Amino acid sequence: MEYILKNGIVYDPANNIAGEKKDVMFKDGKIVENVSSDAKVLDVTDKIVMPAGVDPHAHVAGPKLVVGRLYRPEDSRKGVTHKTDVCRSESGFSIPSCPATGYRYSRMGYTTVTEAAMPPLEAKHTHEEITAIPNLDITPLPLFGNNWFVMQYAKEDKIEELAAFISAWLKLTKGYGIKIVNPCGTEAWGWGMNVHGIDDPAPHWDVTGREVLRALAQANEMLGLPHSIHVHPNDLGHPGNFPTTVNTLDCVKDIEKNSSVRDQTIHLTHAQFHSYAGTSWRDVESGADKVADYINKNKHVTCDIGQITLDETTTMTADGPMEFDLHQLNGLKWANKDIELETGSGIVPFIYSGKAPVSSFQWAVGLELFLLIKDPWQLCLTTDHPHAGPFIRYPRIISWLMSAERRQEMMDNLEVRVWSYKRTGLGTLDREYDFNEIATITRASAARIYGYQDRGELTPGYNADIAVYDLNPNDIDPSKEPAAIEKAFGNAMYTIKNGEILVKDGEVVKVVPSHTLWTDVKGFEEQENAVMEKIMPTFRRFYTVKFENYKVHDHFAPNPIVTEVQAGK
Amino acid sequence: MKTITLTLKKKSQIALEFDELIPDKVFTWEKADFENYQVPVGNRRFPLTDYFDIEVEGTAENPAEVKMILDGDCGRVKYIGSKMGAGEIIVNGDADLHCGAEMEGGKITVNGHAESYAGREMKGGELEIMGNTREFCGCSYIGDWRGMSGGKIILHGSAGKQLGECLSGGEIYVGGDCDILAGIHMNKGFIQIDGDVTRWPGGQMKNGNILIKGKLGILLEGMVFDEIVKDPVIDGKSFSGKYIKYTGDLAVNGKGGLYLNAEKNREYL
Repeated sequence: MEYILKNGIVYDPANNIAGEKKDVMFKDGKIVENVSSDAKVLDVTDKIVMPAGVDPHAHVAGPKLVVGRLYRPEDSRKGVTHKTDVCRSESGFSIPSCPATGYRYSRMGYTTVTEAAMPPLEAKHTHEEITAIPNLDITPLPLFGNNWFVMQYAKEDKIEELAAFISAWLKLTKGYGIKIVNPCGTEAWGWGMNVHGIDDPAPHWDVTGREVLRALAQANEMLGLPHSIHVHPNDLGHPGNFPTTVNTLDCVKDIEKNSSVRDQTIHLTHAQFHSYAGTSWRDVESGADKVADYINKNKHVTCDIGQITLDETTTMTADGPMEFDLHQLNGLKWANKDIELETGSGIVPFIYSGKAPVSSFQWAVGLELFLLIKDPWQLCLTTDHPHAGPFIRYPRIISWLMSAERRQEMMDNLEVRVWSYKRTGLGTLDREYDFNEIATITRASAARIYGYQDRGELTPGYNADIAVYDLNPNDIDPSKEPAAIEKAFGNAMYTIKNGEILVKDGEVVKVVPSHTLWTDVKGFEEQENAVMEKIMPTFRRFYTVKFENYKVHDHFAPNPIVTEVQAGK
Repeated sequence: MKTITLTLKKKSQIALEFDELIPDKVFTWEKADFENYQVPVGNRRFPLTDYFDIEVEGTAENPAEVKMILDGDCGRVKYIGSKMGAGEIIVNGDADLHCGAEMEGGKITVNGHAESYAGREMKGGELEIMGNTREFCGCSYIGDWRGMSGGKIILHGSAGKQLGECLSGGEIYVGGDCDILAGIHMNKGFIQIDGDVTRWPGGQMKNGNILIKGKLGILLEGMVFDEIVKDPVIDGKSFSGKYIKYTGDLAVNGKGGLYLNAEKNREYL
């Protein structure tokens, strides 16, 4: 089937197209240069056309989502809709049901989302849940930062064996890249402790976060994976944590990149939670300028923000000790899980309110980072869904970024408290994003950071993943009309995935199965076999499951999109 | 003033849901509107006339001028008066689950028994039940930590388990007995129980007051003896007689008050 999207105003940052009126054509699910005269015409005159959205960091599938839904029925009762001819009924606000997750991303024009924390032991479940989410291609990142084998290799500085282990584990779990959460901290949580800073060793291991980070970064580059290490640093949400963040980024600076599909060697996730100065919540100040300054000066770093959306949400992360701190802070119900040799996790409901000084401060720190980081290619828009807020608020964040007036208004009329400008530099920043920068931080940069070679651009040969928004960029002044911006980006005029129209005028009109993106490393098989032989005794001794039941078999990922990489190339 | 009388003619096995039939939504409705209305029953809808005879008298300018009378055994009608903001509903019979849930104003009278979750998350208004109710009267939604925050529940019969769970405002009066864990997790508001209580009132309570005029089975260990008070005054309401006052729940460092009739609970002295 051939289509032509006619007369749209195209923003395609990867191809340096910024607001050009042109046609976009696609055929059999791929973007093409030309179509025949039989092509079906979709008239999008003067509407914004972008590649479909790519979310680089969210929590949408896996056991902690299920625990979240089970223990927060009061969240599930929000956002309930009746089923339609196309859609199943939806439920949930911060932790929507699987179908709702797919539909809501589709309505915003997104087609690709990263599930940013997959415990290898729970990988099967994560993949099962991915198959239950419609309309999205999902990239799961297995957790490696507190894995016993990883810590052992890091301690002994055996990078090649670590690379073989990673390569084997990506195959076993069908994962895309390396996620690191609070390196050594979650392991310490197994003993009721945490680590502070990157040079604080995990108890009983005598290995530090710095060693783990460096070893995993080296292994990542040895294999030449499409994504860099994806790091949630130590000390999340602690006042005075920005030096930890900068040290984390700096400790892998000398490691040489070994991939042509991406620019970075480290991706810092939810940077907002890691950019605080001061010593306690009493004297906390923003450290966003320091973190942004480091990122501006160092091209080996990319980040996403984790913007606070001022909602009641459900925090969930593999950072077990941090979740316990949060539970101590707000007194609300807490779920905790230890994942044997691998990681842990915690869940706590949280109300980020504009009436609370701390939430207002965090809201401002996130925006400050957005506005201080100069190169949009180093930056992605996220809320660390659902940790800082649900993903359905992305359009609202876009409206804040495009309107200094709206931000000022929120500070003036006390929608956020005075800490938003007294403790941060937000009040002095009047930068406003244009549509091209928005297109970069919501799709193009994320696709580049993940090394995707089939999406995030409107290049011929790429997947026909396209979003059309009902806005005329020559007509609208985003600075003055934030509500219109929010509405348009939340209700795509068209969401097209692999050439199929999934959303029309903000309504889901078609549901397709999801795909799983994972990385298959070739040319490292010998080393993998050697490593597997070595670690099997440990595996048999300490895991509660048999190795035969550990692997994610092919039927758990019925629609895979496999990125094959040649190790070392 | 508009009087809407619904007389039950057939009791459904599967519960009807009445949260759309509240004065706020029906004050403009004529008889024909009710006759055209399809009421949710399970996962489908059926004509309201299958179950009720409908009479409508008078007119109303606003919801406050509406009086709805449900005649007959509404023991399989859920969500009566749920989320209502004004007006009056009288049930001449029993009511099923969630009667008066999330109501914000107006008045509901149940001249029979009410099932569990009566007055769940009430914010205002008055719910009067002549008979008994069961579990979770005046409580929170499952999983939530924010319960009833305002209004008044007057219960002439007995209450079940976890009365006023997570109560954060408003008043609950129980004429009869009460089962375990009245006022669990409460942090504000007032509960008065005239009859006997099985055990553990005020578990995990942070604040607010519970007054028990009858006999208590087992007191919770987290309740710390404070003093004997004569004719106590609680939130501006005065009570006559001698009461044993406890503060708790110690487990959550609570500052709530539990008043126990001294005459009937001599073994605690």
